[in-house]
This record gives sequence, structure tokens and C-alpha cells, in this order.
Amino acid sequence: MAIALIHAVVVALSCLVLRIYCILPGKTSAKPRGRSRTAPCRTAVFLGSGGHTSEMLMLVSSLDFGRYFPRTYIVSAGDTLSTQKAVALESLKAADRPPSPNVVSGATFITIPRARRVHQTLLTTPLTAACSLVVCVYHISISPLFLHSSSVDVLILNGPGTCFVLCMAAYLNRLFGLPSPKLIYVESFARVRSLSLSGLLLRPFVDRFVVQWPDLLKDGRRGDCRGWLV
Amino acid sequence: MPPSPSASTASSESSLRMHVFVTVGSTRFDSLVQHVLSDTVLDALRSRGYSTLAVQCGNSHFDTGPFKKAGESWRRNAEVDTEVWRFKPSLQEEYGKADLIISHAGSGTIIDVLRLGKPLIVVPNETLLDNHQQELASALEGLGHLKASTISGLSETIETLEAARLVPFPAFNGSRFRELLDEEMGFAEN
Repeated sequence: MAIALIHAVVVALSCLVLRIYCILPGKTSAKPRGRSRTAPCRTAVFLGSGGHTSEMLMLVSSLDFGRYFPRTYIVSAGDTLSTQKAVALESLKAADRPPSPNVVSGATFITIPRARRVHQTLLTTPLTAACSLVVCVYHISISPLFLHSSSVDVLILNGPGTCFVLCMAAYLNRLFGLPSPKLIYVESFARVRSLSLSGLLLRPFVDRFVVQWPDLLKDGRRGDCRGWLV
Repeated sequence: MPPSPSASTASSESSLRMHVFVTVGSTRFDSLVQHVLSDTVLDALRSRGYSTLAVQCGNSHFDTGPFKKAGESWRRNAEVDTEVWRFKPSLQEEYGKADLIISHAGSGTIIDVLRLGKPLIVVPNETLLDNHQQELASALEGLGHLKASTISGLSETIETLEAARLVPFPAFNGSRFRELLDEEMGFAEN
């Protein structure tokens, strides 16, 4: 009886690992062929607070807001500064553009609990990470399916820890063949010779892994470097 | 934007009345703050023509003894008039007033300062566990954009800094990320 159970668990786990391996993005980014996209890209951006928020908002500021909307900003619980900075960017961009009936102005904000606070012990981290994951799953997997709110075409991440939980929620969708956003990870400008922990963890899973210093791709593993993005 | 004047003779430098701004962001960097307020560094600053100093000390601890408290800041009038305070909502005005900036090696601060075309000396905090700050400081120094210094080497770095020889930091190039994302999402090139 116990042996049958162990067999079942081993088979289930093997299937899971195989399934995840099959849905991992390939080593080289496949360029989409055929007609170019005309529909706008529903965009979500994770603001990791502090320097991460500043860098991310610089990246977002470079995008054509006529192509990337609606925009959802995901912030960690308690991080009001990131929200303020995002609102400031949205106002600035709105002032630049003539109003258009087709373009949704304004942005949405979602708050998720932090997977791990700074200096939090690794002992309690699995608990807070699990809480965080549940909320991410709600927003990415459940909410679009059942509540008809729009799901997201692209999710842009640049660290820190909570972005790993967002990535897991997106993969939960992929496991079940549900629509899942493209995942873009941009390593910080501050990382010259070594990747951050988030970067190391997310590298195999994201659709585009972008670094800003060429040394980081010396190991020959997947990634794009187009120089400084900030 | 051209870097600050680097005078050729000591006597003309001492009449320049230039201003130095020191920042540690939201971090605690006791050793930098204390060293900047020491006679060694103040003498080096004075010899290069700096007559006023403002220090944004964040969460750092320093000896407030020699200072007079005035509201939220500590002041000391001496050869180099000094003012120390913890936080301000924005440092842009402080960067604008300064002829030289000395800071911790946080990437956000570095980008903000270099984009304003100001001479910058960064001091990586060696007590930090994961010292990727050092990597960034060295890489940017290697490209000539700033000077990196240890705490103990700070006065010498100040004395030998040639601001005019610093390489201007490139302007923000938004097209790189925009093109990368447009490509990934299948948008045609503009």
C-alpha cells in the first residue's frame, strides 16, 4: 500500500517536472513570424521598491503607451512610494500625448504581500512566500478566468524576491495550458559581474532574460544584452 | 553639461568658494559620514577650493558634539562651513548646487548624479555583505565616468581629482528597451 503511494507520488512528480521542462522557453528567443501585432499589449509591471522601482519606471517610460495598455502596476504591501512614482510617470506621459479615444488613460494598481521582507529569517520565509503566492495566483490565474477581468499579455520584472512568486503564478497557468503573460526579466544596472539571486532563479523560466553588462553572459547561458537600458 | 571648473593653481582654487554635497541615501554609512567630517578630509576639501559642505547622512551615526542643532540639521561654521541633516524628499536641488558630490555606491544615486554632469566620487561600503556595489564603482571608474575611493583614500582622491577629465555619462537611450519589448511582443518596427 505504501509502495503504491510512493510510486504514485514519484510518477506525479516526474510528470510535473517533465511538463515544466516542456514549457520552458528555449535557449534562443524565437522571433515571432508572420503579420505584426496590431492589438495593444496588456501590460503588468512589478515595482520592487527603492532602486528597482526607479529602474523599472525608466524602462516603462521608454515604451509607446499607445501600444502597451492597459498598464497594471504591482506593488508590495506598504510600498506607497513606488505607487507615487508610478502615478507621477503616468501623469507625465499623459501630458505628452494628445488624448485619444482608443487609448486607455490612467493605470491600475495591485498590491501583493511581500514574499520576504528585508532581513526576514529564512525560517519564516516559506510561510510569507506562500501567502504572497496565493494572492498572485488569484490575480493572474483565477481572476481572469472567473471574473472576466482582463488577463495580461506581458509581465515585466526586475527583482527582488516577490517577483519569483509572480513568475510561479504565471507558470501555474502554463502548467494547465491557460493563457499566461510573456515574462520579461531585466537585471539591474548595478549588476556588472554577478547576477542577483532573483536573476539566477528566474533565468531558465522567463521568455526574455535581459542584462545590462556583457560580462553576465560570459557563461554562454541564455540572455540578451543590449547595453545600458537606464 | 560641462563639469565644474578645475583651477590650475592652488591660490585661484582657494578663492573659488565651491560647494560639496555628500549623500548616503537611505543607508547607514557611519564610516563615510564620520570621515568626511574629519579634519583630514576637510583640509583636503579646503585646499581644492571648497568652502561649504552639506552632508545628507541618512541613518548614519556621527559625533554631533562640535555641531549646533538648528531645526532638523546640525551646523558648524569653520574653514569649511558644514551642515548635516538626515533626509530630504528630493536631492535634485542639492545635486544642482554642488560642484562635487561624494556618495555611497548606490546605482540610483550614481545615475542621478552623472546625468546632471556633476563630478562624482563614490565610496563603496565595504561592510555590506554582498559587495556588488564595488563592481559597479570599479566598472564606471574604468570607463572614466567617476572616481571610486576607499574611506582611507578619500582625502587623496579629493586632492588629485581632475573633474575636467571625467567622461560624460551617456544620455538615457529609451530605444533599446522599447525595441527589445516590441520585438518580443510582435510589434512592427516604427
